[in-house]
Amino acid sequence: MSNRWSFPDLGVGVGLRSVHFGHILATHPPVDWFEVLSENFLDTGGRPLHVLDRVAERYPVALHGVSMSIGSTDPLDAEYLGKLKALADRARAHWVSDHLCWTGVLGRNTHDLLPMPYTEEALRHTAARVREVQERLERPLVLENPSSYVQFAASTMTEWEFLSRLAGEADCGLLLDVNNVYVSAFNHGFDPREYVLGIPADRVVQYHVAGHTNKGTHILDTHSDHALPEVWDLYRLAWSRTGPVATLYEWDEDIPEFAVLLDEARKALAHRGEPAPRPAAVASAR
Amino acid sequence: MSTHPVPLDRLQRWMQGVIVHPGTVEEGLREHAAEVPAERVGDVLLPSPRLTAAERIAIYQRMYPLRMQEALQTDYPALAHFLGDEGFADLVSGYVQAFPSRSYTLNRLGDRMPDYVKTAPGVRRPDFCHDLARLELAITEVFDAPETPPLSQAAIAAVAPEAWGGAVLAPVAAFRLLSFRYPVNAYVQTVKDDDHDHPKARLKDTWVAVYRRDYAVYRLELSRAAHDLLADLVGGRPLGESVERAVREGGRRAPSEHELFRWFREWVSGGVFRRVETV
Repeated sequence: MSNRWSFPDLGVGVGLRSVHFGHILATHPPVDWFEVLSENFLDTGGRPLHVLDRVAERYPVALHGVSMSIGSTDPLDAEYLGKLKALADRARAHWVSDHLCWTGVLGRNTHDLLPMPYTEEALRHTAARVREVQERLERPLVLENPSSYVQFAASTMTEWEFLSRLAGEADCGLLLDVNNVYVSAFNHGFDPREYVLGIPADRVVQYHVAGHTNKGTHILDTHSDHALPEVWDLYRLAWSRTGPVATLYEWDEDIPEFAVLLDEARKALAHRGEPAPRPAAVASAR
Repeated sequence: MSTHPVPLDRLQRWMQGVIVHPGTVEEGLREHAAEVPAERVGDVLLPSPRLTAAERIAIYQRMYPLRMQEALQTDYPALAHFLGDEGFADLVSGYVQAFPSRSYTLNRLGDRMPDYVKTAPGVRRPDFCHDLARLELAITEVFDAPETPPLSQAAIAAVAPEAWGGAVLAPVAAFRLLSFRYPVNAYVQTVKDDDHDHPKARLKDTWVAVYRRDYAVYRLELSRAAHDLLADLVGGRPLGESVERAVREGGRRAPSEHELFRWFREWVSGGVFRRVETV
C-alpha cells in the first residue's frame, strides 16, 4: 500500500543537526534523506541556511516543525506560515510536517508540544485550522502523533481515533512516531499495538523512530538513545500495514557521531525486509 | 469523564498558566484557580497508574524552565559561566517572566538580555554582565545576519588611486562594532577555550568588531583609534576624511601611516566591507 498522495518512500533518513554540518558537507555520507527542523532555518541568513542549500542539492529533504501550534486557540501565525512555505519551496521539501499539539496561547510560546483533549470541539477546531494551513502552504500538511504526559478527563475518543478522524476530515497526512506511541502507551496505560492498528495506513507518509528515557513513573520522549526492541516491533507492525514509507531516526540529546546515528537508523532496514549495508561506524573508522 | 468539560480556550489558558508558573505546581494551580479550581484538577486531568493529575502536569512545569535555560545558555554561554548554574537559572527564571517567548523561534528569545541583566535582582557585577551579554548578543546577531558578499579584489582594483580619499565604504550585514567598559572579549575567549584563568571583571575599556566571513563568526579586538576610525567608515564618512580625523584627534596615540594601512588591509581582507562608492 502507498499513501494517498503518492509521497515517495525516501528510504531511511536522519535529522540534519548542526553538530554534523561539517561532516555532512565534507563527506556526503550515504544516508537516504534528511529531515530539517524548520524553525532552525527560518530566520537565519548564516551557516544553517547555507548548509541546508548544499544538502538539498544532494539529498531529498522534508521539513519538520515544532511551532505551528495547530491545536491552539490563538490565531494561526501568518508570518510563520509564509516563511515556512518559502523555506519548503527553497529546499524543494517533499512534505511539511508538524505535531498534533498546541505550543501556547495569549500570544505566548512555551516551546513545548502540549497535548490536546480528544473531544468533538477540539476535532472541529483543529480540522478547520489544518485546512487553512494546507491552503496557505499549498501542499498537504503531515501531522505527527505526540508523546504526552497528561490525559484529559473530557476526552471522548482515543488519540488514534482523533487522529484518524482529523486526517479524514481535513484530508491531511500522518507522521506515525512509533516511539511516541510507546511512550504515551506507557504513560497512559493503553495497548500500543491497538494504536498502531487503529491508524489509517493510507494516510501515513512518514515514520519516526527514537529512543526515550524511562523515569520509572513515566517515560520522557528525550530522543537521547537507541530505540528499544519494543519500539522497533511497533515499527515492524506498522510497516506491515503501510508498506514502503519514508523512515527517520530522531536523536536530539547527547547526539552521537554521525556514523553511530546512521547505524541506528539503518536498523530500520531489517524491519523493512531490506538488506543492511556495511555498518557506517566501521566504514568511517577505516 | 467530566459532565461539564472546560472549553478548549479556557483549558489551554489554565494549562499554560500552570506550566509557566515559576513556583511549585501547587502554587501554579492555586494561582490559576479562576479557570480551574485547584481541588477540581482531577476533574480535568486524569491520574495515571503511577502519578496523580497534579504530578502529571508538573512534568511539563519542570521542563519549561529547563528548556528556556538551555536556549539562553546556547546564546549566552559566557554569561552563564560567569553567573554559575544557580545564578543563571535564577536570571533566566526572571527573564522569561519579564520577556516570555512570543515567537515561533527561540533564536531571538535572548534579545533583551543585555538590558535585563543590568537591573535584574540578585545579579552580581551587573555592569560586567551587561557588557558580556552585549557581546554575546552581537555574536548571535552576526551568526544569523543575511549573507552579503564582501568586497571583491576586482571592486577594489576598480577604484582609481585618486578616488580613495572620497570613497565611502559600507559594511557587510553580518558586522557589529562595539565598545565596552570591561575586557569581555577576553572573558568570552577563555570560556570558549575552557580556560579557567579568566580575566578579572575590572574596569578596562575595550573595543571589538564582530563579523562573519565564509559563514564563520570572528571577533577582532581593536585599539580605541582603530575602533574610532572603523566607526567613522561604517558610519558613512569618506575614507580620506576619516583618516584625517583619526590622525588629527589621535594626539600622541594617533595611528601611523603603517598602522592605518595594516588596519585597512585587515578589514578588507577580513570581509568587513561589502561595497565601496566613489563620487
